[in-house]
Amino acid sequence: MHSVGKSWLLLTGFVVFYVIYLLFGALVFSSIERPVEEQLRRDMERLKEEFLNQSCVNAASLELFLNKVLAANKYGVSVLRNSSGRSNWDLASSMFFANTLVTTVGYGHPTPLSDAGKAFSIVYALMGVPFTMLVLTACVQRVMHPLVLAPVSLLQRSGLKPRPATIVHFLLLVIVVVLCFFVAPAAIFSGVEVSWTFLDGIYFCFISLCTIGLGDFVPAARPGQPYRVLYQIAVMVYLFLGLMMMYLLLRTFHKMADMHGLTTLLQLPRCEDSVLDDDTEPMVDNDPTPPRLKDKAASKPLDPGSQPSYNSINKG
Amino acid sequence: MAAPDLLDPKSATHNTKPRLSFSKKPITLSPQEESEVMATVMKWKTVTAIFLLVVLYLVIGAAVFRSLEQPHESAQRLAILSQKLEFLSQHSCVNQSQLEELVQQVVSAVRSGVNPAGTLTNHSSLWDLSSAFFFAGTVITTIGFGNISPHTEGGRIFCIIYALLGIPLFGFLLAGVGDQLGTIFGKGIARVEKTFVHWAISQTKIRVISTLLFVLFGCLLFVALPAAIFKHIEGWSALESLYFVVITLTTIGFGDFVAGGSDIEYLDYYKPLVWFWILVGLAYFAAILSMIGDWLRVISRRTKEEVGEIRAHAAEWTANVSAEFKETRRRVSVEIYDKFQRAASIKRKLSSELGFSSAPELTLPKRAMSINFSDGWDRNEKEAGLHDLTTPLTRNGGSLMNGLDPERGDVSVTEHFK
Repeated sequence: MHSVGKSWLLLTGFVVFYVIYLLFGALVFSSIERPVEEQLRRDMERLKEEFLNQSCVNAASLELFLNKVLAANKYGVSVLRNSSGRSNWDLASSMFFANTLVTTVGYGHPTPLSDAGKAFSIVYALMGVPFTMLVLTACVQRVMHPLVLAPVSLLQRSGLKPRPATIVHFLLLVIVVVLCFFVAPAAIFSGVEVSWTFLDGIYFCFISLCTIGLGDFVPAARPGQPYRVLYQIAVMVYLFLGLMMMYLLLRTFHKMADMHGLTTLLQLPRCEDSVLDDDTEPMVDNDPTPPRLKDKAASKPLDPGSQPSYNSINKG
Repeated sequence: MAAPDLLDPKSATHNTKPRLSFSKKPITLSPQEESEVMATVMKWKTVTAIFLLVVLYLVIGAAVFRSLEQPHESAQRLAILSQKLEFLSQHSCVNQSQLEELVQQVVSAVRSGVNPAGTLTNHSSLWDLSSAFFFAGTVITTIGFGNISPHTEGGRIFCIIYALLGIPLFGFLLAGVGDQLGTIFGKGIARVEKTFVHWAISQTKIRVISTLLFVLFGCLLFVALPAAIFKHIEGWSALESLYFVVITLTTIGFGDFVAGGSDIEYLDYYKPLVWFWILVGLAYFAAILSMIGDWLRVISRRTKEEVGEIRAHAAEWTANVSAEFKETRRRVSVEIYDKFQRAASIKRKLSSELGFSSAPELTLPKRAMSINFSDGWDRNEKEAGLHDLTTPLTRNGGSLMNGLDPERGDVSVTEHFK
C-alpha cells in the first residue's frame, strides 16, 4: 500500500512539474513576443494612416498594402478596427501556445515572431516533447487499471471468454471516448464559438486530438470572447485529457492485438508491459493478478518467433 | 548459482555471466536464432510493402482532395479578383468602412489559401497534385502545417476519415523505418566498436561514444544538411531553416514556414524529396526523443534509488544508534540499581554490627572513591571497588565510623554515580 501511495505521489509530482513547465514557457514566450507584437501593431496603424492620406489609390500601393496586411495576418495581427487591445501573447494565450508546442499539436496561430522566440521554441520543444510523452504515458498507466483491466475482469467474471471480452470492452471504450471527447465537446464548441458549426467542432476536436493541428480552427481566437482565460484553460485541460484517452485507446488496441496474435503476424514490436519503473505498476507483481493478464500469458503462442527474448520462454 | 539463474527469469536479466555456459542452452538457442534471422528478413519485405502502400494511399488522398477543393478554390479566386477590380475603379478618396471591408475580404481569402497580392495568372494552385500529396503527407504524419487546409465540408469529413486510417498506417511505417535505421546504425557501431576493442577502452565509454556519434551524425545528415539546403532554396535565414527543421521533425508543424510553400519556381522532384526527408528524419527524431525520455526515466529511477539508499542508510544508522543507546541505558540503570542494593545492604550490615557509636573518620581508599562510571562498566572493577570499600571498614574493626560514614560512603558513591 505504501508503494502505491508513493507512486501516486510521483504521478502528482509529474503533473505538477508539467504545469510548472507550461507556466514557465508561457512566461518566457510572453515576455519575448509581446514587445514585437506591439511593434508590428503600431506599424500596421501607421500603414493604415498613410494609405488613407492618399487621395488616389493606384495598384502598386494597393499591392504593397495588401502584402503587408497579409504578412501581419499570418502572425495573427489583424488590422481591423474591432480587434484592438487583445494581445496574442498574454499569459493565458502564451500558456496555450506552449501547450500546443509540447503536445506537438502546433496550430500555428500565433507563431513566434522574433528570432529569440524561435530559438527558444526549438530548445523548449526538444525538452518538452519527450517529457510530455513521459507524463502522458505515466498517466495512461495509472488509468489503465480502472478503465481497462478491472472492466475486462468484470466481463470475464460475468461469463465471457477472454478474447471476446477484450473485443467487447474495446468497442465500449471507443464508444465512450467518442461520445465524451468528440461529440460533447463539439457541441460545446459550436455553442461557444459563434462561427463554428457542429461539424466544424468535430473536425477541430479530431484534428487537435490526433495532434495534427492544422490551425484553421483555433478556439478563443475571436475578438471580444467572454471569459477568454477560463475558456483557454478549459481547452488546455480538454487537450491533455483527450490525448491521454487517445493513448489509452492505442495502448488497449495494441494489447488486444498482442493477445489475438496480430502483432506477431505482422512482425511488429509487442506492447511493453512496464514502460516506466517497475514499482509504479502494481498490478503485474501482486498475487491477485487480473484474469486478463493470466489468460494473456496462457494464450501466448509458443512459436519461437513470438518470444522476444529467452527469458519470456521461461516465464511462459 | 547455476540452477537459480535458469529457473528465475528475473535474476537472469541482471546476470552478466555469459549464458552459453550451460549445456542445455545451445540445443534450444539455435532454432530460435534461425527464426530470428528469418524474422528480420521478413521485416524488410514488410517494410517495403508498407511503404508502397503508404505511397499509394497518399496518391489516392491527393486525388480526392484535389477534386474536392480545387473548384471551391477557383470560385474564391474569381470573387477576389472582381473585388479588386471594383476597388480600383473607385480610385477617389477611400473611406474607412470600405477599407475595412477590403481587408476582411483579403483576410478571408488568405484563410482559404489564396494570396490576392500579385498577378493571378502565374499563380499555381494550392491543390495541384504535388501540393495535395504534400498536404496528405502532413495529415498522416500528424505534422499538420495548416498553410493548406480543406474548406469544403466534404473535404473536412474526408480529412477525418483519411487521418483515422492513415495515422496508424504511417505509425507502422515509421516503426519499420526506425527499425531499419537502427539496424544499419547498429552494424556501423559494431564495426567501430571492433576497432575500439584493440585500444582497450571500457565498455561504457564505447557506448557513450557510439551514442554521441549517432547523435552527431544524425544531426548532420537530417538537420544541418537539410537546413542548409532550405536556406539556399527558400531564402530563409539560418535560424529560420533550423526552426523549420525542428518544428517539422517533432511533428509540431506550425506552418509559418513550409518548404515548398512559397511562390518560388521549384524543381519537380523537390517536394517528394522533402517528404522523403521528413519520413527518415521523423524516425531519427523519434529515436532521439525516446533516448531523451529513457535518460529522464533512468535519471528519475537512479535518483529514486539513491534517495532510497540514502534513506535506508539513515534508517539503519538511526536504528543502530538508538539500539545502542537503549542498551547502554539499560545497562546503566541495572548497574546503578545493583550498586544501590549493595550499598544499602552494606549499610544495614554495618549499622547492625556497629551500632550507633561514633567512629573515626574513615578514609575510603582512593580507588573506591575514584570509581569512575563513565568508563569501564566492568563488574570486576566495580566489585573490586566495593570490596575495597568493605575491607577498610572491617580492618578497622571496632573503630566505628560515625553513623554518617557509610552514608558518606553512600553519598560519595552516589556522587560518583551522578
